[in-house]
Parts: sequence; structure tokens; C-alpha cells
Amino acid sequence: MPTNAAAVPVLLPLLGALGALFVRRPSAGRRALIALLLTGLTAQSLWLTARALEAPLVLSLGGWVVPYGIVLVVDPLSGIMLCLSAVSALATTLYGYAAEPAGGEHPLRAPLFLLLTAGVNLAFVTGDLFNLFVAFEVLLLASYGLMTLELERGSTRRALPYVTINLIGSALFLCAAAFTYSLFGTLNFAEMASRAPALSADLRLHVLAVLLVLVGALKAGLFPLYHWLPQSYPVMPAPLTAFFAGLLTKVGVYVLIRLVAGVLPAELHFLHTALAWAGGVTMVVGVLGALAQDRVQHILAYHIVSQVGYMVLALGLFTPYAITAAIFYVVHHILAKTTLLLVGGVVQAVFGSDRLADTGGLARSSQVLSLTFLLQALSLAGVPPLSGFWGKLMIIQEGVRQGETVLVVLALVASLLTLLSMLKIWLASFWGPPPLAHESGDLPSEAQVTQQSPSLTSQTQASHPAAPARKLVTLTHRTRGMIWVIAGLTAMSLGVGLGAGPLVSLADQAATRVLDHAATLEAVRALNRSPEPGKHP
Amino acid sequence: MELQLAIVAGVLYAAGLYLMMRRQLVQLIIGLGLITNGTNVLIFTSGGLTRTNPPVIPEEMPETLEPFADPVPQALILTAIVIGFGVLAFSLVLAHRVHKASGSDDVRGAS
Repeated sequence: MPTNAAAVPVLLPLLGALGALFVRRPSAGRRALIALLLTGLTAQSLWLTARALEAPLVLSLGGWVVPYGIVLVVDPLSGIMLCLSAVSALATTLYGYAAEPAGGEHPLRAPLFLLLTAGVNLAFVTGDLFNLFVAFEVLLLASYGLMTLELERGSTRRALPYVTINLIGSALFLCAAAFTYSLFGTLNFAEMASRAPALSADLRLHVLAVLLVLVGALKAGLFPLYHWLPQSYPVMPAPLTAFFAGLLTKVGVYVLIRLVAGVLPAELHFLHTALAWAGGVTMVVGVLGALAQDRVQHILAYHIVSQVGYMVLALGLFTPYAITAAIFYVVHHILAKTTLLLVGGVVQAVFGSDRLADTGGLARSSQVLSLTFLLQALSLAGVPPLSGFWGKLMIIQEGVRQGETVLVVLALVASLLTLLSMLKIWLASFWGPPPLAHESGDLPSEAQVTQQSPSLTSQTQASHPAAPARKLVTLTHRTRGMIWVIAGLTAMSLGVGLGAGPLVSLADQAATRVLDHAATLEAVRALNRSPEPGKHP
Repeated sequence: MELQLAIVAGVLYAAGLYLMMRRQLVQLIIGLGLITNGTNVLIFTSGGLTRTNPPVIPEEMPETLEPFADPVPQALILTAIVIGFGVLAFSLVLAHRVHKASGSDDVRGAS
């Protein structure tokens, strides 16, 4: 049904970004307003999803006749993605508030972050290939800014791989848009989908499909196009890393689902096989990379690559059930991954480094943090009844049904290796002994590290002069605030795991709607018959 | 006319890719600029080329004269040029900062 509400998820953060630019200094008031705005965005996204379940919400910008103008389409899949984007934006923002006092925040972080959210949301609601390109550019420019803004002076270079690869990706995307227009004569997703079956034997469509999938795979960090991701994500401040890692690669996955399932014809079997295998290889390569790392954030960054593999494998299996699994997996992954990277941020804040050798003893100082990490790590590895288990189960079921034994084995092996690399973090940072006292030179002021009962220490040192003193890790109220946010996200993630039934049926509806090209086309074309919503305030 | 423009786009792509394989940051950025422009030419060609009528309806006429030029690719190119300009400006600033920080504009660099 036509409605102006479809534009709100884009407009709200955009206006927020402009407003934040006018209030130059980051103050407590500005922070509160932004948190309020993101809460409103979350509520509105939930409302949109509920309404999109009845019929897709469509809006023709400027009131142009479809397919000549730009349309925004909110179907259940877009709605789910909008909710996830709003929730993770809210959580990472609150975490950022807890981590730093208002005065310490970079004045441009909030506007750029809101602009990034606007770009991500535009990518989710757009019903038009060229507008998707514009959304990508908005979110990429904001992300370039965020990434380079808070790097230390010497390390600007570390943003280069991310910027370069995405610039190339944008050029490829534009190229794909040009070919699409010359082949289909339209850039509207619904119209493209209605014209695609007639072209399904055309070699040009195959080339175009490969190009479009390449663009999506580049954004998602799929094998062999993933090298930029673990290099550039961990260099940012933790809340930004968490948002980027949780959401931005999933924009790539969303685009893949939307284009492969929602636009391109179902007869492109070679493409689906290629995607499934790329996903399978990505799972294993990513997790092997994670095993080789010795820093918390780097291990987690490699896991993003590995987990994207599962979603793409599910998409490659290409049945309604498999696409349901992919959508459910996206929901699970965004919540779990954001939480884990935020935990990594706490580790960084407490120890001043996320190198595994420099950390330890967290299990004794914070039970809540340990519990959340353990739950999310097990969820990522796929232990029942946590959310990751259901996603993996559905994917493996579908793989077995289609007789893809090798891919199923790859998925199971990757799952086991994920558990192993998570154990690495757990054993070092949580169960491991606290770091040695003489390494305290680079500890930040906010992490208070106390000597373990001075009299005892002196006794120990007297009897064993060579043994250095161990420290007990205590948490400040800032770290406690950060842990509260993490606990909230974990509760949601647990909810996804325990309430998997209703969520799977929601994902199932979303998948059905994505695959139902005719209904979307009908909804979009209905715009031409109905009065323009823009003209009636 | 399509063939000539296709060749132009191809040459721009080739030159851009060659520059991107070089090790200097400035060459990388110029290469990206060339590729963007090559893509713009490609979009222009994608709509089919006509030299007859503009896609504008004159006052006294009920509709445009067939055949007329396709307005969509032109709108797309305008958008792409604006975005390309912004991105180019950003990359130049980034290159400048990298150069100031490390004193070299080699892509691998010392730091």
C-alpha cells in the first residue's frame, strides 16, 4: 500500500545528522537527543515491519509514474533489516556513550554515524538498482569519514585497503547498472524481475548476473574478496567496529539475497552453485584466519568472514527454506557479532590492548561479561538452544536434502573451528591469569588495576624474588555501563534463540515475499492507479 | 556511434586499471577517476544514442517527437558525476594525509 512512512527510516537519521552538525560540541543534551531519535527509529521500524507483513509498503518519490521514478519498497525482509539496523545503531551508540565522556567524543562522529545509518536504511528500502548505488555511496562516504576520523595520525594508511576496494566496487556497481539498463530498459527491481524470465537463456544476462553478484560479494566480504575486511575493521574504536562488522557486511548479504532471489530468474543454476561453493570456502578460510590471529578484535573480524559464508551458502542452495535460513542467520549474526565485538571493546578498555597475551582474569572480575561472551561465542559456534544453532541446523538440513555432502561437512568443520577459536579468547582473556604487573605501562587511566593485597605481594616477592606480581582486574563504572549494553544485546540474542519458532515463520514470510516477484510488481504498479500520497499531507 | 563510445570506454578502463596497478597513491586516484569516467560513457551508451530530439515536450505540442533521446541515462550520469566528484575529493584528502603522515605516497609505504 502506498505510504509516506516508507521514507521515514531514511529521513529521520538524515535530519538527525544535519541537526547534530548544528550543535557543534558533543554535549550530554545532544547525546540524549540522538539516543531518543534512534529509539524512535527502532519503534518506527518495528511498526513498518508489522505493516509490511500485510502488504508491501511502497512510495513513489516525487510522484513519478512507475517505472520511471524512484520507488521505495518495504517488504518484510526490508522491515527485518531496518529493525536490526536501528537496534544495532542504538546499542553501539549507547555503548559509545558509556565508553567515553561527552567531551571526549569526536564532534563529527555522531553526524557521520547518523548519515551512515541513513545510507544503510536507504539500501534496505530502495526498490531501484540505481538508488541502491546512491545508498551505497552515502553509506560508504560516511564510513570512510568515520574510519579515517579517529585513526591516530600515523595510521591513516590502514584505511586505504577499505577505501580503495570500495571505490573499485562502486565503479563495478555503476557499470552493472549501465548494463542492466541497456538489457532490461529499467532499473526498477520489480520491473526487472518481471522481464528477467524471458532473458534467462541470454548470455548477456548471465554476465550481468555475475557482475551484480561480484559487487554484492565484495561488500559482503566473500571469498576470494575478503582480504580488506579483517585488515581495516579492527582499527576503529570498538563501537564503530561493532556497527560496521555487524551491519555493513550484512548490507552486502542483503543485496545478494535481494538480487539473486528477488530479481534474477530462478534458472541461473550455475550462479547458485557458484555462490554455495564460494560460501563453503569462505566459511573455512575465514575461520582458519581467525585461528591464526592473536588479538581479540582480529579473531572476531575473521569470524565475520566465516559467518558470511553460511548465509551465502544458504542463499546458494536456493530453495524457499534455504532463503528462510539465510534471513534467520542474518538476524542471529547481526546481534551475536555486534555483542562479541563490543565485548572485545571492553577487553581493550580494561587492558589497554586486545592482544591475547596481555589479557586475562576477566572471568573473576565480571561474571556478567563472561556469561554474555560465553553465550554469544557458543551461539556463534552453533550450540543448542542458542540462536546460531537454529540457523546452522536449517542450513545443514537443506544441504543434506539437496545431497551437498561436501558443503555440509565444510559447514560442520567450520562450526567446530569457530568453537576452537572462541575457546582461544575464553582461555586467554577470561580464564587466563591476569597480565603481569610490569606490563602496566600502557594501561589507560580508565582501567584501574590494583595490586593484589600489598602485604601478600611483598611476602610473595620476598620469598620468590623472581616471580612478578599478578594484578587483579577491577572494573570502573564506565566499563560497567558498557557491560549493561552488552547484556541487553545478549538478552535479545537469547530471545532469538529461545523464540526461534515465531522468528523462523517471520523469516519464512520474508523469504516467500522476496521470491514472489508477481506480488511485488503488483504492489509497485498499483502506485500508478492510486492517488499520490505526497500530495495529501 | 555506439562502437566508438564503447572503444572510448574500453580505453578509459584500460588506462585506469593500468594506473591502479602502479604503486603511487596519486596514480591510483587518477586511475579511479578514469574508470569512473569510463563508466559514465558506458551508461551514456547503454540507453542507445540518438541525435534527433531532446526528451523535452515543447509548449505547443502534446508530446515529444519520436524518436527522442533517452533521459534516464543522462539523469544517472549527472548523479554519478556528482558522487564521483565527492569521492574524488575525499580520496585526494586521504592521500594528502597519508603523505603528510608517512612522507611517501607509495601504496605500501614505510609505516
